[in-house]
Amino acid sequence: MTGGYKQQPGGSKKELRKDGKRVAGKQRFAPPGSGGSKPVMSKRDVDFIPETIGGKESQPAGAHIHDRARTGTAVGKRTPLVDANAKVTGQAWYGDDVRLQGEIIGRIVRSPHHYAKVKSIDTSKAEALPGVLAVATGEDAPNPFGVLPVTKDEHAMAVEKVRHVGDLVACVAAVDEATAREAAALIEVDYEVLDSIHDIKKGLEDVDEPIHWRGKYHVGTTNLQKRVFQEFGDRSLVNNPRAMHNGKWKFKGVNHGFTEPHAVVAHWDPNGRLQLYTPQQVPHYAHRALATVLEIPMHQINVIRTFVGGGFGGKSDPFPHEMCAAILSRKTGRPVRITFDREEVFWVNRGRHPSLIEVEMYADDDGRISGFDIDALIDGGGFASFGHVTSYYNGVLATAPYELGSFHYTGARVWTNKPASGAMRGHGAVNTRCAVEVGLDDMAEQMQVDPIDLRLANLLPPHSRTISGFRITSNGMRQALHRVREGSDWDNKFRKLPLGKGIGVGCGFFISGSGLPIHWDPNKFPHATVHIQVDMDGGVTVHSGAAEIGQGSTTAIAQVVAEVLALPIEMIHVRSHESDTSPVDLGSYSSRVTFMNANAAIRAALEIKDKLLEAAWEVLGYHPNALVLNDRRIYYKHDPSISMSYLEALHKAQEDKGSLIASGAYRSPPMGGVHKGAAAGLAPAYSFSAYVAEVDVDVETGLIKCTNVWAAHDCGKALNPLAVEGQIIGSCHMGLGQVLSEQMVYGRTGHLQNPNLLDYKIPSIHEMPHVTPIIIESCDPEGPFGAKEAGEGPLLPILPAVVNAVYDAIGIRINDLPLTPDKVWAAIAKKMKLEGIEDATGLPTPRLDFSALQAKLVTRSEQHELRDNRRQRSEDTDAYVNGVLFGFDPNIPLEDQVDGWKMSTKPTPEQLAELGLAGSIWLKKEQREMEGDN
Amino acid sequence: MVGEQHIAMVPTGPSSIWKASVNGQLKEVLAPSNSILLDVLRDKVGTLGVKRGCDMGTCGCCTVMIDGIPRLSCLTLAAEVAGKDITTVEGLADGAHLAPIQQCFGDHGGSQCGFCTPGFLITAQALLNNNPNPTNEQVECAIEGNLCRCTGYQQIVESIQAAAAIHRGESELKQPASDPHPDPHPLGPDDPTMPPGHAR
Amino acid sequence: MLMPPFELYLPVSITAACEKAAELLAGGFEFDWIAGGTDLIPNYKWHINSKPHVISLANIDGLDSISMTEVGCMARLHDISESTEAHPLVASAAGKVASSLIRRNATIGGNLCLDTRCFWFNQSEEWRSSIDWCHKCDCGTGADCRVIPNQNDLCVATYQGDLAPALMVLDATVHLIGPNGPRKMPLVDFYRLDGMTKNVLEKGEFLLKVTFSADVSQMVGSYQKLRVRESWDFPEAGVAAAWVKGDRETLKVATTALESIPRRHDEQVEQAEGDIKQLAQLIFKAVKPVNNTSLPPRYRRNMIKVLVKRACSE
Ligand SMILES: Cc1cc2nc3c(=O)[nH]c(=O)nc-3n(C[C@H](O)[C@H](O)[C@H](O)COP(=O)(O)OP(=O)(O)OC[C@H]3O[C@@H](n4cnc5c(N)ncnc54)[C@H](O)[C@@H]3O)c2cc1C
Ligand code: SF4
Ligand code: FES
Ligand code: FES
Repeated sequence: MTGGYKQQPGGSKKELRKDGKRVAGKQRFAPPGSGGSKPVMSKRDVDFIPETIGGKESQPAGAHIHDRARTGTAVGKRTPLVDANAKVTGQAWYGDDVRLQGEIIGRIVRSPHHYAKVKSIDTSKAEALPGVLAVATGEDAPNPFGVLPVTKDEHAMAVEKVRHVGDLVACVAAVDEATAREAAALIEVDYEVLDSIHDIKKGLEDVDEPIHWRGKYHVGTTNLQKRVFQEFGDRSLVNNPRAMHNGKWKFKGVNHGFTEPHAVVAHWDPNGRLQLYTPQQVPHYAHRALATVLEIPMHQINVIRTFVGGGFGGKSDPFPHEMCAAILSRKTGRPVRITFDREEVFWVNRGRHPSLIEVEMYADDDGRISGFDIDALIDGGGFASFGHVTSYYNGVLATAPYELGSFHYTGARVWTNKPASGAMRGHGAVNTRCAVEVGLDDMAEQMQVDPIDLRLANLLPPHSRTISGFRITSNGMRQALHRVREGSDWDNKFRKLPLGKGIGVGCGFFISGSGLPIHWDPNKFPHATVHIQVDMDGGVTVHSGAAEIGQGSTTAIAQVVAEVLALPIEMIHVRSHESDTSPVDLGSYSSRVTFMNANAAIRAALEIKDKLLEAAWEVLGYHPNALVLNDRRIYYKHDPSISMSYLEALHKAQEDKGSLIASGAYRSPPMGGVHKGAAAGLAPAYSFSAYVAEVDVDVETGLIKCTNVWAAHDCGKALNPLAVEGQIIGSCHMGLGQVLSEQMVYGRTGHLQNPNLLDYKIPSIHEMPHVTPIIIESCDPEGPFGAKEAGEGPLLPILPAVVNAVYDAIGIRINDLPLTPDKVWAAIAKKMKLEGIEDATGLPTPRLDFSALQAKLVTRSEQHELRDNRRQRSEDTDAYVNGVLFGFDPNIPLEDQVDGWKMSTKPTPEQLAELGLAGSIWLKKEQREMEGDN
Repeated sequence: MVGEQHIAMVPTGPSSIWKASVNGQLKEVLAPSNSILLDVLRDKVGTLGVKRGCDMGTCGCCTVMIDGIPRLSCLTLAAEVAGKDITTVEGLADGAHLAPIQQCFGDHGGSQCGFCTPGFLITAQALLNNNPNPTNEQVECAIEGNLCRCTGYQQIVESIQAAAAIHRGESELKQPASDPHPDPHPLGPDDPTMPPGHAR
Repeated sequence: MLMPPFELYLPVSITAACEKAAELLAGGFEFDWIAGGTDLIPNYKWHINSKPHVISLANIDGLDSISMTEVGCMARLHDISESTEAHPLVASAAGKVASSLIRRNATIGGNLCLDTRCFWFNQSEEWRSSIDWCHKCDCGTGADCRVIPNQNDLCVATYQGDLAPALMVLDATVHLIGPNGPRKMPLVDFYRLDGMTKNVLEKGEFLLKVTFSADVSQMVGSYQKLRVRESWDFPEAGVAAAWVKGDRETLKVATTALESIPRRHDEQVEQAEGDIKQLAQLIFKAVKPVNNTSLPPRYRRNMIKVLVKRACSE
């Protein structure tokens, strides 16, 4: 929104009306030039040009391969979102804002039962109601679908069974909303109610009627959807620990709580093509699922992504209501609009899994982390959704940023009769991360060392491999910890604040794009593709399928193209709404968009740049290597008076060809191990973050108020610092909700008691602490201009930071989120009783006397810092794998060095006896194995 | 599912003409007497900038200004505000000129997904109309009824304070700058003003 | 969500309102009053006991007075909270209700006549059908109470209005008016311990205004509200206390959000004889919250001690 291309009347701010507004219509329009007519080179913004190519932008983390593509135009500048004007004027069109001629209204009939067989559906009364145009039931679309190809277990509407209250049974379309609602109420369904399951632990038991049946892969007759066993490292290292932590955690389910409820408009157009308007984060998967369910080829469907009023993972599955709208539209031949009530948003859910997590952690005499044991039982609700992946993420995303002696994970995801859980910001990593970071805090306390120093002395360096084989590239973890320590004045506060005031630290680690796409056929299909088209007008049209959901992806793509071509960002027009025009993109999940799409966009832009410079070569006579781009002009490097305008070069390049077209694609490099599940959690880069939070606890009521957060996040390179800070602060808000007040409350009858925004308590502005966002730039070698993700990772550390701060304030650890005042109060009351304290204001607070280990850790972390700096700048390129800290040689496979070094994905018979809650499912056999028994 | 006392949605109640000035234009629509203002604005008047986030008073996305007062249109009967002056987000800008509050929300990151933005803008504008010099606490109290899931509010408060500074005349609204160095040959080679053989 | 069909009337005078009410009653039609609508409209959207006729008080002039001794039923909570005329305790309690935006609509009359709340009940029609309804809105099924089952005649839904306790400790009088003429009573006598009937309003009657005796300006006190979020949330427990400045003998304490009615605890105050800790304990014994709001009843009940202490000390 800066700079010149606003063709709006105005410009003279002098002429003002009495009410202070400008007089409209009297001013000239600004000339819509393409600029670049100056004979001499205009001043370049050298602050935004890297040192390596002669600018002033400092590069503490070293150079980057994209440096040569930098022109100082857009990257690194605080850039307002390119679609901000549409949003602030109310012109942005979200799902329910699509109003087509002749539209009718669809309404969904939902199950009132937790679990039941649908015996029959009588639609006659509804059909008889004047104004009702169509009714559809599961029979109209029997094909199953699901976001993951391995777990297609959803239907447009119940085919045989309903699996939770609110599950779809039928749908109606009528001339108006009142009629549609009435018709929905008139549909009579005959159910045979089945025994429902609500307790997550019950999901592990054999039952008569499992919620889904997986055939020969079904484990016993339980409700297990997915189980994972992973073990790496040397288990014997955990013997004789100096410190040991055991934490049994309960996490309630949380919902994304985006402000825009789901809405969809389906229009079977006169050409027989389906135009589907939907606020989707992942339009491509919806596209695939629609084709499957409607039994039409994909090219007969155009998925139009509307503006998305917040996604956070909750708009990334293909949804049954999208199918319903399409089916109703096919039946009636008219556009059908379905908009959800807030309650229905909770019925589709896909929020964070309710989980029971147990962690056991060990540290040895040197303060090294000798083992992590994680056992996670997660509640998937009625459907698989992303659950297959979540089951892995709950474990594997805890394998960094620390160097571990051994890692042991058992995970199980079960079906219960609740709305399905799925992917939500920080997918799968949030809960275990919280448990692990709190565990570290506890171990630090046991060893009487500073928890920040404990972390600093155990970090994996840049360019290393985790215990499970993830390839870490850039790594700004250490710097992040340093910065929050400084910013928060940690050393003067930690364990020194009075009762009721506390400070705590937490770290995070998250994937920046998933290494394997979910749909990997055809085999070498790129993760992201971007097309660029430049015609004689000079405007650059960028076609991308990246789904802008408010995170600023469109802006990021526009920025990188503007950067490469040295054009004002207003000249870049990103078109990303329609599947007809945009290349396939896998969507906005797993924090992949900036990393992958911006990389693809850079590639395409470089191709355009090459074409322009070729043309300039012909005209100016100098080789492209000697030409530079700057603000709509191309110059001869050594004599800027020799130059031509961008437009002239463009027209030259267009000779005999027409518009310039380029396509760029991104596919992540091959990486990772070969064990089962090795692909889960693999990413081309990882983000790191460290937060320090300060809290006030009212010891009489148990109310917690988070007052300050210092939030350092390593996003590689902040393409748009404004947006990165927005993501960090927004993540704090969302994470704070989960740690303090948000929960999906299932009552004693298993009903969701709070499907509304009054009782589902998203923090208001008064609950927000002051957040100091700190951006760490570790310059990822493979990221676009060094960038990594910033959308999900920043959420992780806030939970443990707050829980640890609460401990610092009142000396009590509570392992049951959210920390609602009643729980905190109950814990305080219990402690008072135990210790015979009368008045809550007399509670003892934890204090810290350093042990001898502290100095050792500090020395170690200082040495590691030198090591890390060298590695980050590629001065040290030796191999580094997890295990070096324990004295192993990184160049010999660890299995060959250490007898006990394991890499296994199945428990041994001896291990079966000692597995945790989720792990106990390995005692059961799959159906195919049972058949073998007989 | 219906019990004996199920409240039938059809036929709807009696309808009558609803009149009000919406963004300075007189609107007349036929609306049933039980109509909620939000429904009338979205479905009948067509100001789709007014958003429905919860329909229950808990998100503020539906905020509109009624005679200068920010009110939740989802909790307001249309009939009660007939004849009044209603301003929705569409009415904030003066033609193509963004109001300071709109410009600042863009510039300072006050809007991410943008769904809550119309509500925030109206609430904030109403605040600034009465008090162009609010403290941060006053801003916070004013927007406590608006829910934002994306921004964590911080950049929203910054945006509002930046707009307040413009209202107080302390800083200027960013103008649509005309091209710093306009191209003299916008039509390219076909441009009659293009010097022949230029740079060849 | 769509409102169920009803016919709305907008009388412009008190008399016209009473006449309309009388007319509807005579015809055997059920109706509701609507003031700011912030309680009624959500309930209607969820099809909770909606009526085919609704009379709005919004267009009647002169009902929104705000002064130290009188507050009209249509005075908006926002205006009360910002007012320098109203008693500071009333203003501060009003300022703690819901959110700033809701307070623009919400009225004091609606707040006092607020429907009781329960998480088995404040749900959509579809939701309630999934639990087979409950006693308070059984849709003709004769359903039981979900909170205290096996008793079919009492609803224990919680009264969660913020203003009532504050007004009670200031000795407010409520003035009612209806087809049978006006009447008045102390606010403490206005409520009925039943989640369904709630208060003593007769069919066709509405609450006209709240008045205070002239010496109310001598009283000081505070209202303590327990809530998770400082915006939107209803009180999970609320305690108001007031006394004539300098004279703790005159202490009055009232609670809200702990039972089906707000309640003033005169007996307990008398018994405690000025010992606040004792008083807190007595009130703790006197009220028994049930499990139908966000936070568990045990906690809410225990918080009485803290809230009483804080309310009496400020
Ligand atoms: C999200 C949300 C949060 C809320 N939080 C709170 C809170 O924290 N604390 C709180 O106290 N309230 C809260 N409320 C409830 C409500 O906003 C207030 O209680 C408000 O004061 C009700 O006033 P009203 O004028 O809007 O009532 P209305 O909705 O108009 O009426 C409420 C009831 O009272 C009756 N009524 C109204 N006026 C009269 C009258 N003069 N005579 C007789 N009967 C009458 C109506 O028939 C109706 O049954 C909240 C509401 C919402 C939607
Ligand atoms: S208390 Fe019982 S009867 Fe009353 S609303 Fe709640 S469940 Fe229904
Ligand atoms: S839609 Fe009105 S407050 Fe949410
Ligand atoms: S910007 Fe998305 S909800 Fe506020």
